[in-house]
Amino acid sequence: MRRVVVTGIGLLTPIGSGKDEFWRALVAGKCGIAPVASFDTSAFPVHKGAEVKDFTPESYFRKRSPQEMGRGSQLAIAAARMALQDSGLDDAVYDKGRVGVSMGTTSGEPQIVERYNDIRKSAGLESIPKEMPPRYPCHVIPSNVAIELDLHGPCLMIPTACAAGNYAIGYGFDMIRTERADLILGGGADPFSRITYMGFARLGAIAPDRCQPFDKNRQGMIPGEGAAILVLEALDAALARSAHIYAEILGYGVSCDSHHMTAAHPQGEGAMRAMASAMRESGVSLKDVDYISAHGTGTPTNDRVESLAVRRLFGECADKVPMSSIKSMIGHTMGAASAIEAAACALSIETGIVPPTINYEVPDPECDLDYVPNQARRVDPRVVLNNAYAFGGNNASLCMARCEA
Amino acid sequence: MSARIVATGTGVISSLAAGIEAFETALYAGYTGIGPKTLFADSVPLGAAGEIRNFAPQQWLGSKGLRVLDRSARLLCVAAHLALESSGLSAQVAADASPDFGLVCGTMFGSVHSIASFDWSGLTEGPNLVNPMEFPNTVINSPAGQAAIKHRLRGVNSTISAGLVSGIYAIHYAMEFLRFGRAQALLAGGVEELCEESYLSCRKAGIISPHDRIRPFAHERDGTVLGEGSALWVLETDECAFRRGAKPFLEVCGFGSSHDAHSIDTFNVRAVGATSAIRLALQAAGVGQDAIGFIIANASGSPAGDAMEAHALQKVFGARLRDIPICAPKAAFGESLGASGALLAVTAGIALQKKLVPPTAGFESCEAGLRLSSSPQPFEGDYALVNCFGCDGNNAALVLRSVDGEQT
Repeated sequence: MRRVVVTGIGLLTPIGSGKDEFWRALVAGKCGIAPVASFDTSAFPVHKGAEVKDFTPESYFRKRSPQEMGRGSQLAIAAARMALQDSGLDDAVYDKGRVGVSMGTTSGEPQIVERYNDIRKSAGLESIPKEMPPRYPCHVIPSNVAIELDLHGPCLMIPTACAAGNYAIGYGFDMIRTERADLILGGGADPFSRITYMGFARLGAIAPDRCQPFDKNRQGMIPGEGAAILVLEALDAALARSAHIYAEILGYGVSCDSHHMTAAHPQGEGAMRAMASAMRESGVSLKDVDYISAHGTGTPTNDRVESLAVRRLFGECADKVPMSSIKSMIGHTMGAASAIEAAACALSIETGIVPPTINYEVPDPECDLDYVPNQARRVDPRVVLNNAYAFGGNNASLCMARCEA
Repeated sequence: MSARIVATGTGVISSLAAGIEAFETALYAGYTGIGPKTLFADSVPLGAAGEIRNFAPQQWLGSKGLRVLDRSARLLCVAAHLALESSGLSAQVAADASPDFGLVCGTMFGSVHSIASFDWSGLTEGPNLVNPMEFPNTVINSPAGQAAIKHRLRGVNSTISAGLVSGIYAIHYAMEFLRFGRAQALLAGGVEELCEESYLSCRKAGIISPHDRIRPFAHERDGTVLGEGSALWVLETDECAFRRGAKPFLEVCGFGSSHDAHSIDTFNVRAVGATSAIRLALQAAGVGQDAIGFIIANASGSPAGDAMEAHALQKVFGARLRDIPICAPKAAFGESLGASGALLAVTAGIALQKKLVPPTAGFESCEAGLRLSSSPQPFEGDYALVNCFGCDGNNAALVLRSVDGEQT
């Protein structure tokens, strides 16, 4: 089977867009959390969010108008355009029939449903513009990317909620190594959503002020938005065109808790299985893992269970593996989260630096790992694991490494 | 990566019937499940649909834990129950809760009704009064997650959205996972519920027949009628099936897909992507077009969509097309969106086993050059083609082979 590498990165996040700006902010420990601007939160008990600022979708569109689609599609197209540009590919390299799009999301285009309800409330169902509802179903996001960039290969959305980015990158990896495709734009996108915000607020899961993963006094997650796309292609082809290679995808593992829709398995059983199968498939052992990009939402339960799962699986090795959560800086960008985190992993592999967990102040005896508190660190990681967990008990861990050709 | 993937069980629920035997009987009798729509009559009166009337999931699932499941989750749980039973795996899955069993579910809208209702409740009663128990139903992977809990499926649990071709993509995704040895057996197919939001979306997009009639490939066709349901196969490698003494009834031998990338809401009249998807599926199966004994068509009564499909079939089969029996089963259960691909595949599986192509319900007339079945038709050979095309440009096709209890 062919080896698969990452040769391009495009992303839009609450701390900056484009890999250079994003990476500078991430290493500096910049925080992208601010009062929510997308909608009025006065009726909510919490008011902070992590939104993408200063996004001008027009600059990424050549063929169609951003007004013809929802914000999820706009973010995805922008990330895809950036990623392709970053990869240095020109049109002539691949047969378009073998270039595809594999994306993940939690909510797809939730803002369409929100506008639907707004209009329904103010003017009635008949006033809903006819072009609006068809923009809702989440598969339109990868299809819009395919249309804008003229890609004719496999095209799908894997809406496995907050772990979706890893599932989507994993599918792209599978397609390329089995030669069913030559290039896949793999990643995730989620726009800021009133529905998501309301749900997490009602569950009491949103922190009032900041996100403090693994800290004893952590108060919850901060909902966010964003998109990331990785250009995935076969190693041989990347070498042949002298492409810049960020990292290699070694494998991934998925599992289902089959326990509870919203709460993780208390012993981290599913999380352990996902990490273990990712490592098994990648042919790496516990000792090989140099860094873990945590799911690390900042909720009391997630961080405790994820720490426990790593501790149980890695045993003593756990003390030697730094694990940080960039959600402390960019919030929880839902279906985009693990795609953005995979991009961060690729950049860690390239630069040797791993990003910090910011706002870390008081250690929690139930979270007893090295969380790279507050300062980025030089680790020179060779092998990294990217964890992602979701509603529905969906777990996915992706294993990436420095590419030694 | 070359393991053969076989089906050893089927679960199906649609407006036509629930359960594989009842579904088969109704299909070959030429019945249709389409009738007056009764769901969401308060907000959208009138209209026809392939609606599952008097849906009583407790007859299969018991009543425990049903209350929190939305319609999509209930439909999927019923199909999963039926599929596991039919494959003879129910007892083993329930007893072992092994991480080797999983579910891959295609859907187009998810439960957009659960999503919109949750938001509506926040909008009208205030965000502090929404029912937190309903929040989990707002994620698109909720039906698959609920079915995993209900049936103790701890392996891969993926939800796939590729619009109208979601069900076919889900089957392909499961095949890949089985070939990588990531699971022993996977339930694979799709689910879609009929609800106000998806119905209005399709009506406003102009794809629903103004006469509430679904007439695939007919000259007078003027749109489709929506349906709902869930269909799942139990898929495994032939080696796994052999080891546990299961009798596979078909092999899924080829998947093909292609995106037209030309428009988000119109079929490509040149049928470039559709043709390519069919050719890729044949190529993956390692057979030529001459091996295909019959075709299960995507045709949903869409003027442009059916014309595109006919054009693609002409390009692939040429002069031979007039001799190949074609069935358009959406006439029997309606355009079931993300569940359609799986319902079409399940129909093809039944026809392969029965060695008879089912009739197209309500057949009256048909475009020239197509042999659309008006009554049950015999066919030659062991291979079937299943087409599935979406107006967002996504096209997919499957090639299936009858194995008829043989040890493959």
